[in-house]
Amino acid sequence: MRKILSVIKREYIQIVRTKGFIIGTILGPVLMAALIGIPILAQVISVGEQETIGVVDISREVFADFEKKLDHKLKDGRRQYILKEYKPSADITALREKLRNEVLDKSLAAYIFIPKDIAEGGEAEYVSEHVTDFEELKDIHGSLNYVVIEKRLRKEGLDPQKIGQYIQPVRLTSVKATKKGEERDTGGTFIYSYVLVLILYITLFFYGAIIMRGVIEEKSSRVIEVILSSLKPFQLMVGKILGIGAVGLTQYTIWALFGIVAFKYNKSLLPGFLQGGDFSLPSIPVYIFIYFVIFFILGYFLYATLYAAVGSMVNSEKEAQQLLFPISMFLIIPMLLMIFIMRSPNSTFAVVLSMIPFFAPILMLLRVCVLLPPVVQLGGSIIILVLTIILMIWIVAKIYRVGILMYGKPPKLREIVKWIGYK
Amino acid sequence: MNALEIEGISKKFGDFYAVKKLSFEIPQGIIYGLLGPNGAGKTTTIRMAMNIIIPDEGSIRILNQRMDEAMKERIGYLPEDRGLYPKMKVGELLLFLTEIKGLKKMKARGEIDFWLKRFDLSDWKNKKVEELSRGMQQKLQFIVTVIHKPELIILDEPFAGLDPVNTKLLKDIMLEMKQVGGTIIFSTHRMEQVEMICDNICLINKAERVLEGNLSQIKKQYGKNTVILDYEGEADFIQDFPEVEKIDDYGKFMEIRLKEQADPKTLLPKLVGKIGINKFEIREPTLNAIFIDKVGETNEKDTVSH
Repeated sequence: MRKILSVIKREYIQIVRTKGFIIGTILGPVLMAALIGIPILAQVISVGEQETIGVVDISREVFADFEKKLDHKLKDGRRQYILKEYKPSADITALREKLRNEVLDKSLAAYIFIPKDIAEGGEAEYVSEHVTDFEELKDIHGSLNYVVIEKRLRKEGLDPQKIGQYIQPVRLTSVKATKKGEERDTGGTFIYSYVLVLILYITLFFYGAIIMRGVIEEKSSRVIEVILSSLKPFQLMVGKILGIGAVGLTQYTIWALFGIVAFKYNKSLLPGFLQGGDFSLPSIPVYIFIYFVIFFILGYFLYATLYAAVGSMVNSEKEAQQLLFPISMFLIIPMLLMIFIMRSPNSTFAVVLSMIPFFAPILMLLRVCVLLPPVVQLGGSIIILVLTIILMIWIVAKIYRVGILMYGKPPKLREIVKWIGYK
Repeated sequence: MNALEIEGISKKFGDFYAVKKLSFEIPQGIIYGLLGPNGAGKTTTIRMAMNIIIPDEGSIRILNQRMDEAMKERIGYLPEDRGLYPKMKVGELLLFLTEIKGLKKMKARGEIDFWLKRFDLSDWKNKKVEELSRGMQQKLQFIVTVIHKPELIILDEPFAGLDPVNTKLLKDIMLEMKQVGGTIIFSTHRMEQVEMICDNICLINKAERVLEGNLSQIKKQYGKNTVILDYEGEADFIQDFPEVEKIDDYGKFMEIRLKEQADPKTLLPKLVGKIGINKFEIREPTLNAIFIDKVGETNEKDTVSH
């Protein structure tokens, strides 16, 4: 036991001291914030540009109202869209040709072609060099739609304002039922579930890779036999896994402290971002963090043993790639199923998948975030995970013991099975 | 008391016997050479003695006890594949490696400083291992082997790749250990070293024991019918002499093995005048000759080239 402690201490200190760890710990939250923040920030900061849009209104009854309706303003108060009307000439084709050229030589950002029968269901066209500015398309479509419908209503002698009131959409808010009462949820649960699962996923990958690299380093630097002259391969493996796991928990603790501090003292900044959208950050129940730590620890043990096994079988990280593929799949598949599980966390499919030990850490955490699963399922998956971990440690210890002293080409599956049988 | 007793151990990797029914005993306080050509099973034997590989059958007793993990603290080990953590600082590395040998931190610190000073590495204590030269890393590896004052040290090919200075340093450590009652086991395929420092030897070939026992007794068994000749000129004609059993010619130096009844003294007059003779010595065969003899013609080229 004292020897395992020495190994734990060595692994811990060696990793925590690396630049990679320090940078990763600081940069992790920054990157995460950037991932979420930059698109929002970009929208907040960018003033946007005025655009001149040509309009050919064959119907001759839409342009004036359309121009009035499409009065979206830039941040500095100027009109975003400047409309320029082109009176339809006799030769429509020639006119469109001319407009197309103006779009191409950038004197127009786009032109809109409104057909004669726009009020009777005719199709308007938006012509531009790039047609993926969905915000702009939405503005134009919305305004044109409004104007044309208003025209139709007036023609029938109806009052558009009244009709507008009649057809006002019903409002529906999702409210999350919790033990403490009810809580409005406008997407917050989705976001924190996503973020927590993503953190778990990334750290499992990351720390697994550190373990594997450590094992490969011991092999390639040939220090392994010196170590084995003092302790058992099993002690080395367990010490390594525990030591690096402790690094992971340290990193989480630092991040959690970051989070708490940022939240407490920077409340003004954080909601500043988030209130841009129309949701409030819901309070995350404490039990979710507890399950997060539980599933990190269990998932970590499971994957750490697998990565240790791979590390022991190869001589370089390059050789490891092929063997890593199935392990990566175990981690990636639950991520691909995430949206599905979020939508129906208690479906048979979700329940069965989240009981499979290799998927359980990520999927069970996700289910806990979205909707606390029944105790039987939670307890069941934890028990299955623990049993699997014990079994894996037993198997991997045998592979590891033989593998770390093997040099040369990576073993085939048949040989690995044989290793497990070695005395 | 025996430092190591190996009794009928075997190890199979797949269908291949790395070691087969091997037995030998090593009395305490001697230097013991484990000999054999490359791939004979020396490293596997040593790894089994170190409990790194578990034998399929047979038993191993070290220092009068069954080998177990606690025993590792009383043994120093220099593996064939040497290596240290390249990114660790010298002092930290030694502290870690002595801690897992069961030394308390306080005691370990003192020993570390003592050995670093003795090997002239004190200035490097806070440098990373990878910054050390190859020769310095070799010294560091010796320190790792002996720092916990083991009663038994096992060295796998210890002289391979050492420069002359470190070769002498290692030899001195070995003799020093022997003086205080320690036991040294080392494997090699270089016979000169064995002849100079070993008390007992065991020769292994193709996983099996070929020869074992006290070195001088073994040599005596072969009798004084070997002639070492240091010569100049063309000496090919010697192999046609009827009393000659076998010749190992190095160009200027020749080891001549005579047939059992032949008298070595009669050889000298036959040579005088035909070649220049710098030295004519009648003695036991060199270990090299015994080795080649025992291991067989098949491995001859391999061995001589080393």
